Amino acid sequence: MSDTFFNPHQRATVEAAMARIIPTDDTPGAREAGCVDFVDRYLSGIGYIFAKPDGSGFEVLEGASAKAWMQRIEIMRERYVAGLLDLDARAHERFSADFVALAPQQQDDILHELEQAGTGAPRTLAVNDALAGPVSPQPALQQTSTEVDLDFLPLMVTHTRQGYYADPIYGGNRNRIGWEVIGFPGPASLKDVHIGRYTTLQYFAEGEADKVREFHDGL
Amino acid sequence: MAYKTKPARTDVVIIGAGASGAAAAKVLCEAGVKVVALEKGPWRKKESFGGDELANINRYNLWPDPILNPRTWRETADDDARSEMFCPVPQMVGGGTVHWQGWLPRFTENDFRLRTVAGDLPGTSLADWPITYDELEPYYLKVEWAFGVSGQPGANKFESRRSGGYPCPPMPISRYAQKFIKGCDALGWNAFPTPQAALSRPFNGRKATVVSAFAQQHGDPTGTRSSALNVFIPDAVATGNFELRPDCVVRELTLDSEGNIKAAIYQDADGDTIEQEADLFILACGAMETARLMLLSKSGRFPNGVANGSDMVGRNVTFHEYSAAVGTYDDPVYAWAGGGYVSASTFQHYEHDASRGFVSGGHIAVAGVGIPLPINWRMPGTPSWGAEAKKNDRDHFSHSLAIAMVLHDMPQHENRIDLDETVVDAWGLPVARVTLKPHRNDVDQGRYLIDRGADILEASGALTIRRVYADRVTGNCSHQHGTARMGDDGATSVLNRWCRAHEVENLYAVDGSPFPTGTGANPTLTIMANAWRVADKIIAERGAAV
Repeated sequence: MSDTFFNPHQRATVEAAMARIIPTDDTPGAREAGCVDFVDRYLSGIGYIFAKPDGSGFEVLEGASAKAWMQRIEIMRERYVAGLLDLDARAHERFSADFVALAPQQQDDILHELEQAGTGAPRTLAVNDALAGPVSPQPALQQTSTEVDLDFLPLMVTHTRQGYYADPIYGGNRNRIGWEVIGFPGPASLKDVHIGRYTTLQYFAEGEADKVREFHDGL
Repeated sequence: MAYKTKPARTDVVIIGAGASGAAAAKVLCEAGVKVVALEKGPWRKKESFGGDELANINRYNLWPDPILNPRTWRETADDDARSEMFCPVPQMVGGGTVHWQGWLPRFTENDFRLRTVAGDLPGTSLADWPITYDELEPYYLKVEWAFGVSGQPGANKFESRRSGGYPCPPMPISRYAQKFIKGCDALGWNAFPTPQAALSRPFNGRKATVVSAFAQQHGDPTGTRSSALNVFIPDAVATGNFELRPDCVVRELTLDSEGNIKAAIYQDADGDTIEQEADLFILACGAMETARLMLLSKSGRFPNGVANGSDMVGRNVTFHEYSAAVGTYDDPVYAWAGGGYVSASTFQHYEHDASRGFVSGGHIAVAGVGIPLPINWRMPGTPSWGAEAKKNDRDHFSHSLAIAMVLHDMPQHENRIDLDETVVDAWGLPVARVTLKPHRNDVDQGRYLIDRGADILEASGALTIRRVYADRVTGNCSHQHGTARMGDDGATSVLNRWCRAHEVENLYAVDGSPFPTGTGANPTLTIMANAWRVADKIIAERGAAV
């Protein structure tokens, strides 16, 4: 199975859009974190859905779960293909060039236009705008988003954030860039969490870690 | 119909191996009762869990896959239902306890008699419980000690009588909990360490928690979190009296000529249909799926679903709503440390107070914002992309926290679970359709609790405060109750005080479905305590040889 989905032009367009979603400023952004690699691999099939919890590779999906995931991937592929065509059409209409060839400010204008066009809101439940999730008018703190319900732009925003912040094993967050930018002392690898070597106790209140040090090897 | 195989009859069949099913299995098996548990989902080992927000939160590694297990929601019977992941709970051995952070407060004395305390509330079906706090108290203690809970007895000054302490001292204090405590102190409110299903010390041969950042909504690969999967299920297995069959989807319960349950008909992982007979059947699928299975089990005697002569099955469903006020601080609070839910609470606004203008109240506690990362989080009311969004992520990740509330939503006769007329699951069975409209009381109480969270933020020196009001119950919380009410009157309840169906002598339900009210606290400790109480009663009535 190939582990890419986009053709070179699509890939360049996604990369350019993602670079506006999490821009590069005095710290690295989506481009440096490889967010496009993350989504390209995600959409390549069902070989990269679940990392093995010890970080040794990816789970092989089977049966009903494999079918459900293929269905979801197909929906998202279609949404990207159509969305990217739309992005270029709008870019040509306003600036007579492909999206990828525009200046950053022009790219922002096109993305804002897309937002105005009402492709913003998820159609059904999503997560809380406020407390857990991409874009939803409803407060809801604990649910996961239903990606297939998102329109193109919110979907790409969701995937950019996932690619920037998810464990590097998924192909984004290159060199833990996303974590470093926000100051998350993430585990060295999934394996560290898996074997119980990863702790955040040192980020508790002053002296609290010392109180329980005897119960923790290597704290 | 002919079934492919016919396993031997057993004493008790438990349907569902989550918190309540596992608790009942442990107690029954330890008394020598033979139990077969039929669990819809897989029996995962702790080694299958990891610190992977993408898999666990976004990709249904733990949540039910909405394509395979859809659900629908509508506000009233006049609306069209639409697909929603409403009140999802992991469907696997261990159920919701697999992915929880495990806040385990007890309900209070008045929770069991709210109708008496608060009086009639028009538009609700508010009812007292048929049992009291005192009846349940010994079982609270049993669960706290058998399960392994970290907490501080006496710290919650609104807690009702305790007959003993906790097996483990409270968790260490996080910086974000410090803010919460500081705010409560300034307001003169009582704050206490939230009782947690994580081991602050080694206990019963299990190690202390390493306090990873991946806790809430993540499975625990270390075995240091107390869950049905790593405590009660192994207890039951150790007796030799327990057989757990995962990946077995029960389609219906059949009746014998006496009107008792004869068998559970289920489909196993190979797709074969199997009939399992037993003397006694215990439903433990969670309030929604328990009601759904009862409604799917139609017969000449019960055309509207088993034990549903009263038309009460699925009605009076309550869910809680989880929302928060969010604050930012100058100094870092690291509200992702330990998974973001460690650990400070207040019951200051829990008990009913008529002067507030609404009934009851809820549990308020400190919480993180991401789970733990900003993959599924951004500051309320801020752009979702661009330079400002990036700046917000950077500025707020270690400098913001949430003060969350558990909304005590009111039971209403018309709020119900029934079977959807068009949508089926991957097994071809009609799915649970939720009809749910908030009561004014829910909205008012929710606003009040969020405002009190904002008070705590302000009193603790927050720079900015954002309130996220809950104007409807979205099903964003895994708590579910009430669909098979227990009560003394068979016309207005499904189960009696021992959680046995009024109309069927060998049918019980022990999850959240018997709860006449949802209360304003996290329900699982009470669910497990009640399951233990019911299991004890079954043993007492029938002896070990059921």
